[in-house]
This record gives sequence, structure tokens and C-alpha cells, in this order.
Amino acid sequence: MLDRRDFIKAQAVAAAAAAGGISLPAAAQSSMVAGEDTALKWSKAPCRFCGTGCGVMVATRDNRVVATHGDMQAEVNRGLNCVKGYFLSKIMYGQDRLTQPLLRMRDGQYHKEGEFQPVSWDRAFDEMARQWKRVLKEKGPDAVGMFGSGQWTIWEGYAASKLMRGGFRTNNLDPNARHCMASAAVAFIRTFGMDEPMGCYDDFEHADAFVLWGSNMAEMHPILWTRITDRRLGHPGCKVAVLSTFEHRSFELADIPMIFHPGTDLAILNFIANHIIQTGRVNREFVGKHCNFRLGQKDIGYGLRPENVLEVRAANAKDPTDSKPIDFDAFASFVSTYTADHTAELTGVPKERLLALAELYADPKVKVMSLWTMGFNQHVRGVWANHMVYNIHLLTGKISEPGNSPFSLTGQPSACGTAREVGTFAHRLPADMQVTNPTHRAHTEQAWKLPKDLLPGKIGYHAVLMDRMLHDGKLNAFWIMVNNNLQAAPNSGNETYPGYRNPDNFIVVSDAYPTVTASAADLILPAAMWVEKEGAYGNAERRTHFWHQLVTAPGEARSDLWQLMEFSKRFTTDEVWPAETLDANPSYRGKTLYEVLFRNGTVDRFPLSDLDPGYENAESRHFGFYVQKGLFEEYADFGRGHGHDLAPFDTYHQVRGLRWPVVDGKETRWRYREGHDPFVKSGEEVRFYGNPDGKANLFAFPYEPPAEAPDQDFDLWLVTGRVLEHWHSGSMTMRVPELYRAMPMALVFMHPDDAKARGLRRGSEVRVVSRRGEMRTRVETRGRNKPPRGVVFVPWFDSARLINKCTLDATDPISKQTDFKKCAVKIVAA
Amino acid sequence: MKPDAFPAVTPAPAAGQDGAERHLASLLLHVRPDRRAAVRAAIGALPGVELHIDQPGKMVVTVEGPHEGWIADRMTALHLLDGVFSAVMVFHHIERAADLTTADVKTADVTAADARRSGS
Repeated sequence: MLDRRDFIKAQAVAAAAAAGGISLPAAAQSSMVAGEDTALKWSKAPCRFCGTGCGVMVATRDNRVVATHGDMQAEVNRGLNCVKGYFLSKIMYGQDRLTQPLLRMRDGQYHKEGEFQPVSWDRAFDEMARQWKRVLKEKGPDAVGMFGSGQWTIWEGYAASKLMRGGFRTNNLDPNARHCMASAAVAFIRTFGMDEPMGCYDDFEHADAFVLWGSNMAEMHPILWTRITDRRLGHPGCKVAVLSTFEHRSFELADIPMIFHPGTDLAILNFIANHIIQTGRVNREFVGKHCNFRLGQKDIGYGLRPENVLEVRAANAKDPTDSKPIDFDAFASFVSTYTADHTAELTGVPKERLLALAELYADPKVKVMSLWTMGFNQHVRGVWANHMVYNIHLLTGKISEPGNSPFSLTGQPSACGTAREVGTFAHRLPADMQVTNPTHRAHTEQAWKLPKDLLPGKIGYHAVLMDRMLHDGKLNAFWIMVNNNLQAAPNSGNETYPGYRNPDNFIVVSDAYPTVTASAADLILPAAMWVEKEGAYGNAERRTHFWHQLVTAPGEARSDLWQLMEFSKRFTTDEVWPAETLDANPSYRGKTLYEVLFRNGTVDRFPLSDLDPGYENAESRHFGFYVQKGLFEEYADFGRGHGHDLAPFDTYHQVRGLRWPVVDGKETRWRYREGHDPFVKSGEEVRFYGNPDGKANLFAFPYEPPAEAPDQDFDLWLVTGRVLEHWHSGSMTMRVPELYRAMPMALVFMHPDDAKARGLRRGSEVRVVSRRGEMRTRVETRGRNKPPRGVVFVPWFDSARLINKCTLDATDPISKQTDFKKCAVKIVAA
Repeated sequence: MKPDAFPAVTPAPAAGQDGAERHLASLLLHVRPDRRAAVRAAIGALPGVELHIDQPGKMVVTVEGPHEGWIADRMTALHLLDGVFSAVMVFHHIERAADLTTADVKTADVTAADARRSGS
């Protein structure tokens, strides 16, 4: 008989073998006994760390999460778990977890320069409502705003959108996803008329080649990386190309490794398009039937403050989105200057490698998957880069079929499901609708049962503009939820922090932990997190997935949903809506925002008896109806019937997520392709139905240089990013001692010769200095990130060493997403 | 307010370990076929790490130690080993150290049925 250690070990090995597709001797399998530990309750939930959307099984005992493991039934990760997911059970139990509201006080009153003191929720919301009403009265709706996140659950983002747009009548609502994938989202809409990838993770098992455009998937998307690794090792002829501005872990698997000069990826993309055309490999039939060509605007500036010399000098900074129709020949002629020789010179990549990469796309027999995240998106020409990768997939018709897949990865668990699909951007409404479109606003007013013409049509402040407006005193009442913007925002010492501490402003931060952002706020609200509430996320492959509340939040911590809805009770329509609207719609008079937004007959239509008796639901118990179900069903109606279709609410609690559009109970793996997508009619083969003419748009854009490049005074490129052990700002992962110890501080990774030339060596204490600020750290010359000479890499997770004091607040002028990958610094001994 | 005046925050750690636990985890490794021998040797040099299955391109190892940190450190070390493309966790079990020698075979984690379904 096995002793318990041997038994557990055998079971552990069997599980790993099963997950890895390794067959085991029968004897090993039969030693596994299916059993249940009666003291533990296991439930499913998506991991809350990244955009991959892995399924995890969560064990609770005595109202506490005690263990998690990869969900064998989850298609995304098939039982695997990365080092971040491994510590999910601990993220809720940091010793400094916030459990009651904290208000800056002096002499018993709120004071901007006061010390944080615990207050009741009532006292917190009283002060907050007083400040909101003051600002609304003095300056109107443009002076209030909210900054949310791709970590909001679907219904939290939806409730926030209703409160800000329908309640306070402002579009000053933006998610930190703006910093993460705004460029991807904008390019999707401009190319296909609809957001989000046409393919899905199943492409990993169908592709013959993978091209990583800047992405370090080995560290950032480890579970998806195992799927690529499996394919590379198990599929003869499979090739992997890895492109980056510095060498990192993913290069280990690279058949075609490529280090290019920062920003020159644009030239590589145009070179590939040119190569496809010059070698006669354009899929003429596909292009003729399904594509339009347009010439984009050039010299569009860098999204800096308008008075910046770079903006004044740019010819088209005011209308960066313009384009005009051209034909294929004009497009071919436009990219013809991007020859192999010219591109090799510009990018620093050897010509042979450029050609080898281009052949992956040009060869009609090779199914190719392109993958990217922040390298393309955090780019002053991020929208262009996204367009240019679609160009090469569209020219060859390598799109919307298994294995041929331009795939935009995401960083946050619901960047797609909430920020994009619900529409928590300053310009968006649910289901890809836009605030500037009167028809879309009218439709939304109808769905929300709000008076006609109530919703504002002006685009609100985007993330970076919010910081500038706070700084300039034009945005004065500001609520930050589930994100750590003071750590994440660019040029934070000059453009973010002064706005938070501006005496004209009242800053509220809802968070589970005392982040740097919370410490700069005036009011901190303690937030419930992850399985302390019922939730829903949408991952990078259009998969919507749900979880139940499994434990109660500590102390007085409350979910963002509770906070949003409860705060809405503090305002009546008379206080926040124009008199003309109420004169024309007297039935809304005297109602609270809570009543008009959440007790509208739609949101509150599902009774408590609909709750699963096996799970608690704090919000529904508090408000007296099944809040999440009502919000979800009202929201889901926006998308049903035209390609954004979601399944009924209850279905998602049963399944491991479904990829929309879900029609007749069936998910869609490849969109726009007949036989896969129910919205493409028989005989159409391919239809990009997001656009009225059913065609996708290719855009011609040139290479343009970054906003700032190294010079005599600041002689190195600074690239920021993440490392495996930490995620985002580290506000969660840094609280897990094991992760903290594995990588305790953000080092500056640099080439040994660059260190030597400055009289430095590994471990030297240094200052990283830009024109905007500086941070102190130590030099690493032997780490797994190996920059070429002239480039340094610094991760941004470390709240004690804020590299974003150095970064530049230049954005893509179209998507308004910051370029965190390219600015100039110098490194000096500390 | 000076631009650089804003405070830095050092997060407090989660509740510590009492040392009375044993943690056992299994990891799936994707390995460069031409570095198999070197990876085997490197694994052999890591205390608490045991190699169970070695197939071209894939290995299954178990890691046993006193707390999560032990497991995580080795998981990170394995993921970053030269010749290893990735190391991912599949199974993790926590046990009171005193219970480990008893013959009780009840377990909370992945069921055999689950494992077989996924492996088929």
C-alpha cells in the first residue's frame, strides 16, 4: 500500500502527465482514487491576473480561499497554472488589506492636507456627494470623472457607464485599459468595423508559424506559451519568429530572432507587405472581393500637450484620423520604398532574417499567427502598427480561418469583456457603439429607459488627458476604481501626482490595498475583490466567463458594484439633470439616480429566488434583487442579433466560458468565415460584416520616428515592461511574499559594455534620469532580459521605485494610448 | 508640492507560514530536445525537485517543500533554466506535515476522471 506522500505524488504526476498529453502506464493511473475532501468546497472561477483567462478551481473552507489549481475542464489552460495563478489564494489576504473607508481629516473635518482617518461608509459618501455636488454646481458635468479598469467585472463597468453617462451626464469615463490596448481596439474598428479578434486560441494548434511582434509571451502569457511550445516541438516545420527591441526569454524558442531599433517595427511591416507584392503572392481574389485600400494621414504628432513643439510642428496633429480611398496599385507603390536593403539599414536587422520573416507571411502554404500586446499598442504609432499587421494578413487572405490569425493579446482579465465590450472608454457605448453617434445615443437612452437627448455626445477625457485636466484644475471630482494609476501613468511626477494633490480637486480611490494611488487620494474606499463577489470577465479570445461569490469580503470592504449603486442613491435627477429635460419628462422629477438607473424595471426584474442557493451574493441581498443578472441581461440586449450575441446569464454559471457571438447556444471560434460564423451567409465565404460594405480596410502608412530618441545628454533608450513574477503594478502580486522575494526590486537591465563605459557593473547603485524625473535602482547585466547596446529595460511593478517618473506622456494621436517603450534616459552612478 | 514628493509604498507581506505544512506540487516542463541531458542534470541539482517523466520535449517533475515560497522559487528557477521553454504548475497539495505518513488516500484536488478526460 502506498503511503500518503507516495499517493499524493503519484496523483500529482498523473495530473501533470494528463495535462501535458503524456500517456502514462495503466498502473500509474489506477493508483489514483477519485476522492473529495468534505471540508473543502471547490468552485470554478477565472484567474484574475491577466487577459489569458485561465480557468481555476478554487477551494474554500470556513469562508476562506485555501487552495487553487488549474481547471482541467477549462479549454484555455487545461489544468495548467502559471506562477501568478498559483498564488491566487493569497492575494486577498495581505496584512495591509483595506477594511474601512479612510478620509483625510483635520479637526474632525475633511481637509486636503489632513491625515487619513477611518470613517463610516455614510460619512465617506456624505463627503464625496458634497464634493460632487459642489463641482457639478460650479462647473458642470465636464468637471467630474471616473477612471476604471480592465479588472472591473462586466456588470461593474456597465453600472459605472450608466452612472457617469446617464447619471452625471459626462463621458469622462476611461479605463486603465487605455494604457494597455486602446490602439488595438481603435484599429479593429477602423479595419473591420467591429472590435476584437476574429480568431481564438484554437489557432495555436493549427498554425505552422508564430510571429511575436514585441510580445514576451514566455513571461507574460506563460500558459499560451506552452501551447505554442507544444506546437513548435510537435509539428514538423513549425517556426517561431520573435521580434523585440531587446532579447528576452521568448528568444529561447525563436527560429527567427530579431532585435530591431525602437519604433522601426513599422518599417518591417511595410517591408513584408512590399515583399508579398513584389514576389507576386498577393491573394488577388481575396483582396478583390473583401478589401478596400486607404491612404492614411501622416505627420500626426505625438499626443503631447498642444503647446509642445512636436505638436506645433506636426502638419496633421489636429486631424490624425483622416484617410482617403486609394486603389491596390497606389498601395503597392506606397510600400515599394520599403526594400530589404532600406529596411535592414533602418531597423538594424540583417536582411536574411527580414526575408525569412517575410516568407512566413508570403508563402501561401504556411498558416501564420501574429501575436502582439504592448509592443504594438504602447507605441506613438500603435494604431498604424495594428493596421499594418492586418495589411499583411489581408493581402494574403490569411485571416479568419484556423491557424491564420492576426491575434491581439490583452493584459487584463476583462480588458475585452468590460472595457471594450461594455464600453467604458470616453468615446464608447455598449456593443461597439459611439457616444458621438446620435442614433447610438438614442438607442442607449431607449435601452436604459432614460429621457431622449439626455446622454452627452461629446467625447470625454481619455486617461492621459484626465491627468492633464486634474493638473490644470479643470477636472475636480475624480473617482479611481480597481487601478493604480499613479504608478501606471506616464511622466507621473509632473502630470499625475500634482493633479491628485491639487487643492481644487477631490480624489477618491477604491482599492483592496493601499497603493501609491490610494496614498495620494483624499478618500480611500475599501474594495471587495475577485471571489468576494459574483463576477464576469471577458478574455482576449471573446470568451465570457462567470464566477460565484465564494467568500465574504473582510471588514467593511464592498464591491465596486455596491459602491457605484449605493453612491447613486445620494443624487436626485433635479440635482444633476438639466431643467429642460425634467420639464419635458416630468415623471423623472425627484427620483434618485439609483431609481432611474437601477430600479428601471429591467435591471431589477430578477428576484432573489433566482440566486443559486449554494452561493452568497452580498450585493443582491443588500439591494433586494438579483443585481448581476439584471445588469447583465440589460447589457446583453445591446449586442444580441448583430454579432455581439451573449448567451443567457444562467448558462455562464454552468460552462467554462463561451466565445461570442453565441447563437442558438453555440459559440463562434472564427468570425467572418462561412461555416464558422452564423452571421456569414451561405455562398459569401468571407464577410467582414462590421463594415456596411462587408469589406476590411487596408491602410497605407509610412514609418515615422518616435517622439523622443537618445541624444548627447540622454543617451539611452528606456523600454519599460513587466517580468514573470509580477503583474501590472504589483499591487496584488507584491503582497504574495513568495513572488516578492523572487524579484524584490525593479532593476535596470543593461548591456555589460554600456555599464562598463559608464564605470558601472552588475549591482552598482544608479540613477535612471530622464528630462522628466528619475528613479534609483541597481544595475543588472546578466539577467534574462538582455538589451543590446544603447537600450535599457526597467520593469514598472515596483511601487518603491517608480520608473514612470521618467517616462514621457506621448501617446498615439489616434488611440490616445501612451508609448511606454520609447524615451531617452541617462544612467549615472548614485 | 514638489513633483518628486509623492510617497513610495512598500507592500506588507501576507500572513506568514508556521512551518508545520508540507507542500507538494507537480510541474509540466517543455524542454529543448537537444538540451535534455543538461536539463536533467540541472533538475537533479535542485533540492526537493524530482524528475518523474522524461519524454522528448516534455518532463514532469514534482516539487516538495515546507511552504509555497519553496515551491514558487523552484517553479521560477525551473521556468528560467537554460533549455527549458516553460514550467507550469498542474497540481498543488498542502498537507499538515504530521498527516503525510498516514495511509489516508482522500484528496481534494483533481479527480482521476478529470485527469483522464483532459488527457484523452
